[in-house]
Amino acid sequence: MVNYLIVLFAVTNIFFASAERISIYIRLIAMQGLLLCGIALAGLSEVNLGNLIFIAAETIVFKTVIMPYLLFRIVKTSGVTKVHRLSMPAFYNLLFSIFALLISAMIAKSMLTGFVSSVFMTVALYTLFVGLLLIVTHRLIVSHIIGFMITENAVFLFSVAVGNEMPMLINIGILLDIFAGVLILGFFGLRIRSNTNEITKLKD
Amino acid sequence: MRLLGFLFLIVSALLIPGFILRIKSIAAGRKGPGIWQPYRDIAILFAKGQVFSNTSGLIFQIAPAINLSCIIAAAMLLPFGRYGSLISFDGDFVYFLYILALGRFFSIISALDTGSSFEGMGASREALFSMLAEPAFFILFAALAIVTGHTSFSGIFSEYTISGDHNILIMTLIGVFVLFQSSLVETCRVPVDDPKTHLELTMIHEVMILDNSGFDKALIHISTYLKQAIYGLLIYNLITPFKLNLVFQIIIFVLVQALYAITAGLIESFRARNKMNRNPKFILTISAVAWIAFVIILILKK
Repeated sequence: MVNYLIVLFAVTNIFFASAERISIYIRLIAMQGLLLCGIALAGLSEVNLGNLIFIAAETIVFKTVIMPYLLFRIVKTSGVTKVHRLSMPAFYNLLFSIFALLISAMIAKSMLTGFVSSVFMTVALYTLFVGLLLIVTHRLIVSHIIGFMITENAVFLFSVAVGNEMPMLINIGILLDIFAGVLILGFFGLRIRSNTNEITKLKD
Repeated sequence: MRLLGFLFLIVSALLIPGFILRIKSIAAGRKGPGIWQPYRDIAILFAKGQVFSNTSGLIFQIAPAINLSCIIAAAMLLPFGRYGSLISFDGDFVYFLYILALGRFFSIISALDTGSSFEGMGASREALFSMLAEPAFFILFAALAIVTGHTSFSGIFSEYTISGDHNILIMTLIGVFVLFQSSLVETCRVPVDDPKTHLELTMIHEVMILDNSGFDKALIHISTYLKQAIYGLLIYNLITPFKLNLVFQIIIFVLVQALYAITAGLIESFRARNKMNRNPKFILTISAVAWIAFVIILILKK
């Protein structure tokens, strides 16, 4: 079951490389949140029930509902709907993404230990690369936020991979989620007014 | 019994295009032509004579027939459920792809043979898009070969659903997605190409056959119909349990081909054609999804 969800999670990463609208990015982020919830529920069999419910609730509420809602609000107020300022064509982006998967599989193989499943490791590394790639190849700050959130999802996936042995790590990952997400989204949500188009000019 | 699958393929190839036309006219609220309209058109084309331009040579005259024969040769490799294919040998999925590529090569050089700049442009696009679509098929069937341990279509599909592997649901989902999207690319349908477009600059496949007329044009249409049925049959083989009896197999086959035609018709009705420069990205996405399945299967199988 976990493998099915992880493969679906990896497929959403491919669409990050090929999508051209911010709204598609946001939907993909919400979908990743939902898949992470499923992965956590199916993968963390040895964590105690209270902690498991907390993790599932956090991924559903925070990653699937609040963050996409805030991002949609930013898109609505700023009027940025398309990723119209890519540093390179999406075709090359997709090629890099394919290579990233190959490299992640190779790194995961070389780092293989008995504790972590190599599928988890590969997809988490791949997600990390996709997030970084999105940050590097896009010029708009909204895309950078989304890239950062993908990277966070990768960290969460890593922590779920070792969650049965080190449950504290997941809680630290969640804290990072909440801290960074609220800080960034709060900052942009408050700063940007509907009558300015500064988000279209913001670069780094 | 082996001939049965091939006959079903031919019958479904006869019905799918009319079915897609019907779906499109229903979705658009038009009365539309009947299911048999493509065949009336083909009958008219068969009755007509051919006109060859002075600039074109022998290649232009023989290419449609070679293309059709290549597609028929490829169709013979496909099994129908547990009834094996007419021809089968190890590694036949590689042969399948290359025999299709040979047909495509002839249609490309026949377009170049006419000396028309529009047809040259169409040929260049066809070459690029099929080059990008081929890896998806290769990667998908390489992953299926790893799952089943066989390298022929008959072997792969006979082992696939009874292999007891826990990952076949992943493979089936991704396989159906990849095969369906590849079929849209290979048979030149929306969103990659629009068979009804009227502007040469936006055409891909249609612009390559502008100079063909009469009998040759009928052969080209039949080739496209057969290709659609081939992809429908591949999807059917991927999702049908191997040990079903013949009646259930036929029912599932009819359902899969009908669903294929309905989906293609609905996509054509409700989706716009991609801009030309977005097509390479669209096609590469299909390969990337197949690539994910391949890497994950490779890791899991160790």
